[in-house]
Amino acid sequence: MTVAEAPVLSGPAEKLAARLAGSPLSGRASVAERDLPTVEVEPADWPETARFLRDDPECRYDLFLDLFGVDNLKRRGQRTRFEAIAHLHSLSRGERVRVRIPLPDPEKPSIPTVTGVYPAADWFEREMYDMYGFDVPGHPNLHRLLCHDAFVGHALRKDYAPGQRWFYAEEDFRMPDWARETDERAGHFETQTISIGPSHPATHGIIHIIARLDGERIVRAETMIGYLHRCFEKMSETHHWNGVIPYTDRLNYVSAMINGVGYVRTVEKMLGIEIPERGRLVRTILSEFSRIMDHCVCIGANLVDIGALTNFTYLYQNRENIYDLIEACCGARLTVSYVRVGGLAIDVPDDFVPRCRKLLDSIPGFLDDVEKLVTNNRIVRNRLAGTGVVSREQAIAWGLTGPMLRASGVPYDVRRARPYDFYDKFDWDVPIATTGDNFGRYLVRMEEMRQSLKIIRQALEIFPARGPVNSDDWHVVLPPKDAVYHDMESLIYHFKLVMEGIRVPVGERYEWIEGANGELGFHAISIGRGGPYRLRVRPPCFPSMAAFEKIIVGGTVSDAVATLGTLNIIAGELDR
Amino acid sequence: MSGVVDVTRRAPEKLTFLQRLYIPEILRGMAVTLRHLVRNLADRRRLPTIEYPEEKRNYSGRFRGKHILKVRQDGTLKCVACYMCAQACPAECITIVAGEHPKIAYEKYPVVFDIDMMRCVFCGFCVDACPKDAIWMTRNYEMAFLSREEAIYSIDRLRETPEEIQIHGYGYRPYYPGDGTTPPADASREPVLPGDGERELLRERGVPLPDRDPGPGPLNAPSQAAKTAP
Repeated sequence: MTVAEAPVLSGPAEKLAARLAGSPLSGRASVAERDLPTVEVEPADWPETARFLRDDPECRYDLFLDLFGVDNLKRRGQRTRFEAIAHLHSLSRGERVRVRIPLPDPEKPSIPTVTGVYPAADWFEREMYDMYGFDVPGHPNLHRLLCHDAFVGHALRKDYAPGQRWFYAEEDFRMPDWARETDERAGHFETQTISIGPSHPATHGIIHIIARLDGERIVRAETMIGYLHRCFEKMSETHHWNGVIPYTDRLNYVSAMINGVGYVRTVEKMLGIEIPERGRLVRTILSEFSRIMDHCVCIGANLVDIGALTNFTYLYQNRENIYDLIEACCGARLTVSYVRVGGLAIDVPDDFVPRCRKLLDSIPGFLDDVEKLVTNNRIVRNRLAGTGVVSREQAIAWGLTGPMLRASGVPYDVRRARPYDFYDKFDWDVPIATTGDNFGRYLVRMEEMRQSLKIIRQALEIFPARGPVNSDDWHVVLPPKDAVYHDMESLIYHFKLVMEGIRVPVGERYEWIEGANGELGFHAISIGRGGPYRLRVRPPCFPSMAAFEKIIVGGTVSDAVATLGTLNIIAGELDR
Repeated sequence: MSGVVDVTRRAPEKLTFLQRLYIPEILRGMAVTLRHLVRNLADRRRLPTIEYPEEKRNYSGRFRGKHILKVRQDGTLKCVACYMCAQACPAECITIVAGEHPKIAYEKYPVVFDIDMMRCVFCGFCVDACPKDAIWMTRNYEMAFLSREEAIYSIDRLRETPEEIQIHGYGYRPYYPGDGTTPPADASREPVLPGDGERELLRERGVPLPDRDPGPGPLNAPSQAAKTAP
């Protein structure tokens, strides 16, 4: 299908099609209208298309968000076995586009690199190479990323037998090429290559950093991740749509609620169902509380890393109190599993609103204490201000989102750019900092917590005292227990839902929300089964971690520790 | 909707002389920490620390802890071995082997019902999936094992006992007091023909039944069972 014979398009897709028709890519790129305008190109044209989409004044898709593979082996009506999908976002125009790159050769799928256009593509391409075996000619460092180097096969391919075990021995460890080469000043006693992690208290999870030091300064570094890889995406392919929810809790386990909301939103959009206002408000309120918890953990742990212990207890007290509320709602503190496709597992308890108000009263006091101890503290300033600097241009090029991007001066927040639930009705500000350093990120997170409190306060004002929290579509939501026990028809619905899962229409969809540390997106592909055919998570801290090895160059090791803390790496989400 | 706020202005780039001097800042910091100390000493009950295991956190009635299998009035399990919890389980930790129950009203029963507590993620999906009100959760979160085999709980450890409920209390369950749900009728109160020998059969299969007087107990005497029903 070429641009000339494309079906009727509207809005952004039509504009994009017209723009592409008048470009050198005319005839080689086709545009379709799906949930997002979708450009389809051959692999050979991908780097040129990427450059056009980034540089064309009417496109300006400057933020590279995601790139992942799909194996169409068991999917009908697809032209090629393998394809790659990229998501790009335009910060200036607030629009986004999907690029589909079908890879014609099923034996040796290959897709040229776009790291020259979008530096953020680096790790995404490595992950694709690791999981699908796509060759990426031109990639500067094409090695496995999430699986270890002794792994054989490509785990996300549909014909990979999942029961296989590959053992990793010490001799399989791959030192980066540059670290193995002798430094030209190797005789110099102060130049040395060190290994930070994988089990180091400052790595917040298990992350391995190989760094070359010249004296105290880091001159080159490489990060190795994957120690916490739990095959989330592979596992979700074997589960029902609802059965994936407990797994999403373990992505960003510090703010588990937000992951669940992001995931079920994708499925609900595919089903085309609406959730009652009360249900959506509960999700909003608990998501914002989760965001506060996430920032509390991030700031608290970061301050501990740089030697300020007391703040940790004040911030964690908030987290304890919020956990108490969440536990009263769903019965678990950390792994909440509270949301369901079509609503919530169970309505909130009767004292939900008073409890929320009590929390709203208690949290600001702790935040004030922390600000008193930290913000104008000379030691904290010396450690954080001016270290780990990410300029505005770098932040965009590296595909950062969330507080990282906002601390570099870009006011991009999904809740503002594409308001979901009730975020457009609330009065709140997007905090930004212009310095782009660790201290800026600290300030942004502190202010975001206060803005979240503001959002919750407004959400409680419009919170309906009673009413349903779940959709009444019994093809999606389990019928009430009373009906299941006493009514045959409800029992049949119940049985079909539990045994066969929700029937999600054939198709694919990408939905994104503002996670605690950036844009959290889920791309789901359904072939009409009870569970996903492919579920891709766009983890917010993945691009930040990819940028880490570039941010820390030029700083000292102690700056690297402070920087790692402000990136807010959650290994569960990074490694999936 | 509202605007964008630049937080860099909130914290002046240059610290004042007093702040750079550091001593006044130390004192200000000490004031904060001392205030917390005095407050905590003044009112020990406000202390957030829980001195586990002497003291335990008071969890809500929705807490998702160890599972229990609910029993009918005659002591048999409510479970009919329909496999719905096993199917709903995202961790695949439930193993059921179904048997045919001699009593027609019970139809099926679980010969084996194992939950691997090391695999279980305590999501509560089994409770949601059960159509027979047969599996609940408790607030018991203290499960420690010395071996992997020990972590597989079978019927004898999952069956509801009054002692366990007295100590830990019910947790996540399909309905709560006052939410208007009528529990399903107890099948043990449904009439059966006398003398079908079901108790003997059950004993042969090793299903423990409470000791009762021999003869036509409430199980086999529908008129009496109806009278004793609460």
